Amino acid sequence: MIAALAVFIVLGVLHLFTPYWWWVMAVPFVFGLAYGRSAWRAARTGALAAGALWLGAAAYFQLAGSALIARRMAGLLGIGSPWVMVAAAGLLAALAAGVSGLAGFSLRALFRGSSKTR
Amino acid sequence: MRILRAVFAAALAAAVFWGLHFRHGLLPPLGKLVNPFAGFWRNGDRPDPALEVITLPGLRERVDVVWDDRRVPHIFARNDHDLYFAQGYLVARDRLWQMEFQTLYAAGRLSEVVGPAGLEHDRLQRRLGMTWAAERSAQAMAGDPVINGVVQAYADGVNSFIAGLRPHELPVEYKILDFRPEPWTKLKAALLLKYMAWTLSGHNTDLSQTRTRDALGEDFVRSLYPDFPPLLEPIIPRGADWGFQAAPQAADGAGEAPRTPQPPASVPAARDGEADPRGVGSNNWAVAGSRTRTGFPILCNDPHLNLTLPSIWYELQLTAPGVNVRGVTFAGAPGVIIGFNRDAAWGMTNLGADVLDWHRVRFRDSSRREYAYGGGWRPVIARNETIKVRGRRAVRDRVLYTHHGPVVRLEEEEAAEDWIPAGAAMRWAAHDPSVELKAVYLLNRGSSYGDFLEALRHFACPAQNFVYADAGGDIALWSNGRLPMRSPGQGRFLLDGSSPGDDWPGWIPWERNPHVLNPERGFVSSANQHPADETYPYRLGWDFSSFERGARINEVLAAGAGFTPRDMEDLQRDGLSLRARMLLPRLLSALRAATLAPEERRALEALERWDGVFAADSVAATLFDALWRALNERTWNDEKEAGLESVAWPMSNVFLDLALNRPDSPFFDDKTTPGVERFDDLILPAFQTALGRLGERLGPFGGAWRWGRARGTEIGHLGRLPGFGSGKLETPGGPAVVNATQRSSGPSWRMTVALGPEIRAWGILPGGQSGNPGSRFYDNAVADWVAGKTYELLFLESPDDPVPGAASRTELRGAR
Repeated sequence: MIAALAVFIVLGVLHLFTPYWWWVMAVPFVFGLAYGRSAWRAARTGALAAGALWLGAAAYFQLAGSALIARRMAGLLGIGSPWVMVAAAGLLAALAAGVSGLAGFSLRALFRGSSKTR
Repeated sequence: MRILRAVFAAALAAAVFWGLHFRHGLLPPLGKLVNPFAGFWRNGDRPDPALEVITLPGLRERVDVVWDDRRVPHIFARNDHDLYFAQGYLVARDRLWQMEFQTLYAAGRLSEVVGPAGLEHDRLQRRLGMTWAAERSAQAMAGDPVINGVVQAYADGVNSFIAGLRPHELPVEYKILDFRPEPWTKLKAALLLKYMAWTLSGHNTDLSQTRTRDALGEDFVRSLYPDFPPLLEPIIPRGADWGFQAAPQAADGAGEAPRTPQPPASVPAARDGEADPRGVGSNNWAVAGSRTRTGFPILCNDPHLNLTLPSIWYELQLTAPGVNVRGVTFAGAPGVIIGFNRDAAWGMTNLGADVLDWHRVRFRDSSRREYAYGGGWRPVIARNETIKVRGRRAVRDRVLYTHHGPVVRLEEEEAAEDWIPAGAAMRWAAHDPSVELKAVYLLNRGSSYGDFLEALRHFACPAQNFVYADAGGDIALWSNGRLPMRSPGQGRFLLDGSSPGDDWPGWIPWERNPHVLNPERGFVSSANQHPADETYPYRLGWDFSSFERGARINEVLAAGAGFTPRDMEDLQRDGLSLRARMLLPRLLSALRAATLAPEERRALEALERWDGVFAADSVAATLFDALWRALNERTWNDEKEAGLESVAWPMSNVFLDLALNRPDSPFFDDKTTPGVERFDDLILPAFQTALGRLGERLGPFGGAWRWGRARGTEIGHLGRLPGFGSGKLETPGGPAVVNATQRSSGPSWRMTVALGPEIRAWGILPGGQSGNPGSRFYDNAVADWVAGKTYELLFLESPDDPVPGAASRTELRGAR
């Protein structure tokens, strides 16, 4: 959980100051590479942190003036409700972060040679 | 094993990245777009701060902006440069994507943004010479020091907004389509005007007229599509003393009386639609003080266009030493295009004169380097076009120009649009350089009829009916533009590109444009109809709007006195159909005499109770509209001429004249039956056809057939993004009535200006000020527009004037 919190904070800071969406892939990847303890944990940590961050941020904007644009976007993408858009933001980030955490760890396992995943 | 797993995981991550980072066909780049920190979530609606201070390098002095409760900016600058700089900055802030998209559209550069889907459109725009025309006009602008300064200051303002734009602040359409704004230029300003010229003057029926003539003869064409149809209600009142005569070569059939249509042996199938496929319906008028309650003129204008969101127009007030003007403009055009100042008001409807011809080109050989002209050969000028296509290799095209203009479609090519003839060069007035913005600049500053005329000289294309009124009491109307003088018969059919005699012999001298100042009747008006009757010495075209709207406006204005602005707004909303008023008695008497099924009888009863008004809740309006169509179809559709797929329906003037005055015309005979039918024999079958169709489309007869639902209006998004439009609106108004609202077109701006010591004005646009689909000011006026309401247009003398309702301020400051 502490790992997830750390990733959450790092991601949050990067997102606040830069426009790049792919931090939700890059940060969990680096985390998996540097600190991953198992494939599952690396994926889960990234997914949890990024998913929670995007979900929370989307919910915040939804409530703070973005309800109209979310409704239009839901219409554009053929999604019923703007709140589904909020959930989709969380899921999208979780998916991207999960697979990149996993990729990061897999690379780490490669370099670590014989050291077993624990 | 580990390697395999690593490769698999890396591939999976790469695939997810690829899937979310790029656009896939119509699917936007979801990662970028959904990112709450920079994606669409950031395009929300934030309340404006009460006072906002923005520092803009390039601004010379302070500019004060007051935003009224509808977010209309009232801009107070201390010099012209800052005025247009601020306009550029503020309009870009509200409408950047719209400005850019319209100019990309005009330039034939959509493929750069949307990919191969834009290719066909882009190729056509290149072939039409849109950028070539814009380059020539941009050059002309650069040659006028004042306008050059205005356009440059405006561009600098737009660019200062773009420079300060952070990624998360990009308009949402950029995020969806995944591209970035490029700098605004003078060329883009010119492209925008060419885009309007194309919309309003870039169409003709020369090809279909030629085909019809070739199949059925010129007499047929001249009788069904006469230069001057029956029931003519010209803009310039009859009996005008023109005070000049045309040069002899332009006296095409002058003084010729309308001829009674003589049907040929057979009549080809009609196109399903009106003679005027554009379906525009702009109106304007000015009433002299003798007919108003205050004793000062009132001026009205509702320009109709194909409606889109963001709104086509942007409302604003521009104030600087020497100018204080209020009204609407296009996003991308400096100044106020339709509006008023303290002393005068003006408005426009499209003139629709024929300023586009086609000249058949004979090339010397297959290299197409020379073409025949005047008994010799002339060199073809080729312009190479490169169309960049997103995600693909660029497409190249060579556009061939004769001295007439570009060859839009080569002999062997398919038609991009069915009215564009093959192997012909296009001669179009908008290809010639002109500086319409100069007219706008002068109109904004004008205070007298003399100033108005000085401005009009500069407005070439698209030619407009300019209405004018001032506090001094003058009212005027000018059908104004640069209009070709024509040789006899020229302009209706395809011309011979090798014959110098087929070239335009010149332009009608500007001061001879049809016009009227302070007519005795105490009002002037226009509704896209014929500008003048047969006595006007020049031929301007024939394909104008039918008489009904103009006649209705004139009838109401002529019958009344002591008019108030409210009366004028009632007329803008007027839904009475002259068609219905003229034709309905005849239809009803025929139907009453017929044996009807129960549902048919109920429909007849609805028609009998109808007042002829196209109201949103009127079932009878729906019935009449369907019946009108069915009658036209039965009149024109019953036979086909070999080699001719369709013939355009003649305008309603012709149809009504036949139905009412020549009901036994052979046109009404159904050639598929042995008997001989008259107009009255068509009515019952047409009625049954109409009912059958409506039943199929709308269900059983009843409230579901109401006009607002059966026709309705949808204001779509400019880039056709689903969910970004208005949805279906149950609007009143209809074909050939003053409120000429249609399925996708309608009054793009409604304005009523009461002149006098204290000027007052009202208006509404179908949308709002903001171009941001996430803002409540994107479509805040739509419901009131449907309901026919207007807002009083705040006109400030100083930024310190009291502003009713919630207002906020912006201070723009220059940087040292």
